Amino acid sequence: MTRTRPAYRKFFRFAPAFLAGLGLVLLTSCNKVHQVFSLSGPQSTMVTDGPVAARQWDLFMITVYVTTFIFIVVGAVLAYAQIKFRAKSEADEKSEPPHQGHGNPLIEIGLIAASVALLVIIAIPTVRDIWYTHDVPDEEKGNALDVTATGYQWWFQFKYDTEMVKLPAGGETPLVTGNELVVPAGRPIRVQVRTVDVIHSFWVPKLAGKVDMMPNRANFLWFKADRPGYYYGQCAEYCGESHAIMRFRVIALAQPDYDKWLANQKQPARSVTAKSLAAAASVPRVQFASMKLESGAALSGSPEFDANPLAAWHKQQDVEKDEDPALVAKGRQLFSDKTCVSCHSIRGHEGIGVTGPDLTRVGSRSTVAAGVLENTPQLLGEWLRRPNHYKPGNKMWFGGFKVQDTQGEWQPNPKLSELSDAEINALVSYLHSLK
Amino acid sequence: MAEAIAKHAYTGGAHAPVKKATFELFARPTAKTGLVGWLTTVDHKKIGMLYGGFAIFFFLVGGLEALLIRTQLIVPNNHFLEAQTYNELFTMHGTTMIFLAVMPLNAAFFNLLIPLQVGARDVAFPRLNSFSLWVWVVGAILLNVGWLSHFVPAWKFGGAPSVGWFGYAPLTSKAFTPQLSTDLWVFGLQVLGLSSIVASLNFIVTIINMRAPGLTMMRLPVFTWMALVTSFLLILALPAIAIALVEVMFDRNFGTNFFEVSGGGQPILWQHLFWVFGHPEVYILILPPMGYVSEILPTFSRKPLFGYPIIVFSGVAIGFIGFGVWSHHMFTTGLGNVATAAFALATMAIAVPTGVKIFNWIGTLWGGQIMTRVPMMFALGFIWMFMLGGFSGIMHSAAPADAQQQDSYFVIAHFHYVLIGGATFALLAAIHYWFPKFFGRMVPEFWGKLSFWLIFIGFNCTFFPMHFLGLNGMPRRTWTYDSNMGWNEGNLVASCGAYLLGLGIFTYFAVLIWSFFKGKVAGNDPWDGRTMEWSIPSPPPEHNFAAIPTVHARDAWWYEKHHQEEIAQERAEHIQAEESHGGIHMPDQSWYPIIAAFGLLIGTYNMAQLHHPVEMFNKVIFATHLPLAITGLCILVTACYLWSLEGPGGYHLHIAPDGKVTESRGDH
Repeated sequence: MTRTRPAYRKFFRFAPAFLAGLGLVLLTSCNKVHQVFSLSGPQSTMVTDGPVAARQWDLFMITVYVTTFIFIVVGAVLAYAQIKFRAKSEADEKSEPPHQGHGNPLIEIGLIAASVALLVIIAIPTVRDIWYTHDVPDEEKGNALDVTATGYQWWFQFKYDTEMVKLPAGGETPLVTGNELVVPAGRPIRVQVRTVDVIHSFWVPKLAGKVDMMPNRANFLWFKADRPGYYYGQCAEYCGESHAIMRFRVIALAQPDYDKWLANQKQPARSVTAKSLAAAASVPRVQFASMKLESGAALSGSPEFDANPLAAWHKQQDVEKDEDPALVAKGRQLFSDKTCVSCHSIRGHEGIGVTGPDLTRVGSRSTVAAGVLENTPQLLGEWLRRPNHYKPGNKMWFGGFKVQDTQGEWQPNPKLSELSDAEINALVSYLHSLK
Repeated sequence: MAEAIAKHAYTGGAHAPVKKATFELFARPTAKTGLVGWLTTVDHKKIGMLYGGFAIFFFLVGGLEALLIRTQLIVPNNHFLEAQTYNELFTMHGTTMIFLAVMPLNAAFFNLLIPLQVGARDVAFPRLNSFSLWVWVVGAILLNVGWLSHFVPAWKFGGAPSVGWFGYAPLTSKAFTPQLSTDLWVFGLQVLGLSSIVASLNFIVTIINMRAPGLTMMRLPVFTWMALVTSFLLILALPAIAIALVEVMFDRNFGTNFFEVSGGGQPILWQHLFWVFGHPEVYILILPPMGYVSEILPTFSRKPLFGYPIIVFSGVAIGFIGFGVWSHHMFTTGLGNVATAAFALATMAIAVPTGVKIFNWIGTLWGGQIMTRVPMMFALGFIWMFMLGGFSGIMHSAAPADAQQQDSYFVIAHFHYVLIGGATFALLAAIHYWFPKFFGRMVPEFWGKLSFWLIFIGFNCTFFPMHFLGLNGMPRRTWTYDSNMGWNEGNLVASCGAYLLGLGIFTYFAVLIWSFFKGKVAGNDPWDGRTMEWSIPSPPPEHNFAAIPTVHARDAWWYEKHHQEEIAQERAEHIQAEESHGGIHMPDQSWYPIIAAFGLLIGTYNMAQLHHPVEMFNKVIFATHLPLAITGLCILVTACYLWSLEGPGGYHLHIAPDGKVTESRGDH
C-alpha cells in the first residue's frame, strides 16, 4: 500500500513557523494587543497594594519560574523527539521496526528525583506563606483594626466591632455599614467573615486572597492597604442567582481622613431642614457616557468615576447643593409608608430592619446595589424602579424573602412595583440627603 | 489472519433443543438487529456503541451549553441570557461534560476494548452490563428533564439544575433553591453513581478473572490497567457522594439537619464528602485517557511503551494519592494551617507520578519511527496540553497563591487544559484510532487533520486568555461583568476561540458520520497495532475471537505478528478443544435490565416530586406522585427478581473452516 502525500502537507510542515510568525505580527503591529495583555484592572492580582497580596503574588511567581523551567527543558526534548524521530518517508514507515526497547530504570528514577527536587523549591515558600497569610503578624497585632464582614444574598454588611455608636433610645451598638468597607491605610485589618445564608467569599484581589464565608465557621483573614485607595472586591463563591453582581468596595483612607469619616458615621442620620438648604440652583450631575438604560445593560462607572474613583468617593461625601427640604421630608415619609423601614435601618430616623443594608449614610456611598450602579440620583432612581432588572432575584423586589406562591411563581412586592416617578424622586432625594 | 486461523477447525450441527427448566415472563429475545436487538443486547460491543452514541450526543449538548455561555460573555454587560438561565447553563455544562460525556465515553471504551484486550468473549456479567447502560440513561434523563420548562412553561420543573455541578450546601437547601430541579439533580447524580458502581464491578471481575491464558497482570495492556485502576477509584469514591446526596435528599424532603445551618448542620461536611468523591473523580476522568495515549503512542512510534512497569505503578500511585488531596479544592474554607500545608504538599506529591508518565511517553517517542496520523496528532497534542494543565495545577498547590486563583478564571483555564487538552484530546485520538476496528472503515486523514488543527487552535484561543482573565481578578460563575475591569478583550478572544473550537468539533464528528457510510474499508489491522483487538476482523464478530488467544508477551499481537507459525498451530489446537466442549458459548439477550431501569426511572422521577408535584401528564390520572413512585419501585424489584429466575441461558457458535458461523441452542 502506498500513501500519497498531498500538497496540504506542505502547509502543515510549516504550520509551527507560520503560527509563530502570525503571533509576532499580532504582537508588534496590532495596537489592540497590548490591551489584551493589559492586566492591571481594578481586581488584578498582579498589581498588588498590600503585603498579603504581594506575598501571594511572589509565591505564584516562584511556581511560574519553576514550571517554566520544566516546560523549557521537557518541551525542548519533546519537540526534538517529535522532529528527529519522525518517519521522513513511506520507506521509513515500511522499514524494519526500530529497536523494541522497554525502558531505562536509571533514567526514570533520575527524573523522579529531579521532579521531587524541583517541587521542594515550591514547597518551602508555600509552607512559610501559609503561616504568614493566615493571621496578622504578632508585632502588628496591637495596631490591628477588627471588623466583621457578613455576606447576604447578594450584598455585604460591614461591622466595626470596636467602634461603638450610641443608639437614640439609649445603649450602644457597633457601627454598621453596607457594601463599602472604609479602613485606615497602613494598619492591618483583621476581617472576621460570616454569612447569614449560603456560602460567600470575601475577595479584594489587590489586598488579599479570598477566604470563604462559611455558615457555622469562624473564618477570618487579614490585609493591609499600603496606601490610600479605592479597591474593588467581589464575592468569589457561587451563591445563587445574582452571584455575578455581588460586589463591594474597600476604601483605604489616610488616618486623619479615616478619623473624620468615622466621627461622621457615628452621628445619627442627618436631617435636612430649611435652614441647611443652600442656593437652590440646580447643578445637574454628570451623565455618564456608556449609560444605556433602555437597552437593559447593567451599568459600569462613568469615565469620570473610573478615572479617579477615590476622588469620586470623596466627592460623594459632600452634601448636595440642590437639596429640597420638602421633597426630602416627603421621601422620609414614603420610606415608612412603603415599608422600606421593615428591612432597612436608618439610625436616628424610622428604619429598624436588619434584612437589608443599613442606610444611615447611604448618600455618601459611591455605589448602590452592592457595587452594581454608581450612586447618582438618576441611577438610584433606576434601582428603585427596576431592582429585579439590575439584581435578579433580590429580596427588595420580592418583598423581604423570596418565597414561592402556590403556583410556584415568585410575586414582586407591590409596595415597590407600584411606585410612581414622583415617589421615586422623593425617595431618592431623601436617601441622597443621608450623608 | 483470524479468518485463516478459523479455517483450522470445524465441527458443525445444531444440538437438539432441550425443555427449559426456568421461568420466563418475557421470552429471551433473539433479534440481533433492529430496535429490540439493541434494547435487549448484552453484547459488550453494542453496549459500548450505545454508551458512545449517547455520550457523544451529550458531549455536543454540553458543547452547545458552553457556546451559549461564551456568547453571553463575549461583551461586558450582555443581556443575551438571563442570570438564572446562565446559572443553569454552567451547572449543566459541568454536570453534562463530566457525568454524561467524558465518563460514559470512557465507559464506552471500557466496554469496547477490555474484553478484546484481555482476550475474552464478553464482560463477566453481560446482563448487568446492559443494566448499567440503561440506568445511566435514566440518570441522564433526570438531570436534563428540567430544560423542558424553558420550552413548556406549564411544566414547572423550575428550569434545569442551577446549584453548580458541585452543589455546595446550603445553596441546595430548600430555603435557597426550592425548585424541583435541585431534587432531580440529586436523584440524577445518585442514579448515575449506581450505574458507575455496577459497571465498575463488572469490569474489575472481567479484568481479574477473564484474562486469556498467559496474560499476566504485568502483560496487561496499559489501557486495561488504567481501566482497572479507574474502576477501583469509582467503587471507592462514589459511595462518598452517594452518602452526601442521600443527606441532601433527607434535608430537602424529610426535614433532617445534615446541612441545615439553623438546625446546627455543617455545610462544610458536604464539601468534604463531595471532594472525597470529586478529586478521585478527576483521576477517573483522566486515567483512561492516559491509557488511550499509552496505546496510541507505541503504535505510531512502532516501539513498545517506555518504562511499562513505571507507567503502571504511577497510575496506581495516582489512584492512591488521589484519595489524599481532596482538600486542595477547599484551601479557602478555613481548614487551618496544618491541614492546608498537608494538602498542599500532598498535591505537589501527586505531580510526580503524573510527570513520570509524561517522561515515559517522551521516552516512547525517542528512537521510534513516528508516523503522524490523526490519532497520533491528538495524542501528541494531549501531551503538550496536559503538560500545561499540569503546570497550572502545580501553581494551585501553592495554597497562599491559590487563595487568589481559587474560583477565578485561572482555575477554569487550568482544568480545561486538563479536561479538554488532556481527556478530550485523548478521547478524540481514541475515537479516531479505534473507529476502523469497530466500524470497519477508515476516517480520511485530511479531514481528521483539519479538525485537529481547528480544535487545537480554537482550544488554545479559548482557554489560554482565561489564565490572564483569572490573574486579572475575574471570578468564575459570573453571568456578566463590567466594562471597566480590563476583561473585555480576553473574553472576546475566548469567545471567538470557542466558536472555532465548536467548528473543529463539528468537523470532527461530521467526518466520522461520513466515514461510517463512505470511508475506505479498513482491514483487521490498519495501524500496525500491538494489542489483541487488532488480531480480529473489523468490525469484530459477536464472539470476538474464533479461538481464545494465548498471550506470550506484553504487546501480544505484535509478538504474534512476528511469530506467526507458532501461533497458528497453537490457535488451531484451541479451536478444536473449544469445539469438543460444544462450541463457543454466548450469553442470551434479556429484557429485564432495561425493564428494571425503566422502573428506576418511574420511581426516582416521582420520588423527586413527592414534595413538589409538577402538574404534567399525570394531573388527570394520579392525584399524587406516591402511587407512581411505588409502582416504579415495584417494577424495579420485580424485574430484578425475574431476572434472577431467568437462568443463564445462552447459545453456541460453531465456526466452519471457511469462516462461516452457525448457531445452535440447547443445553450441553
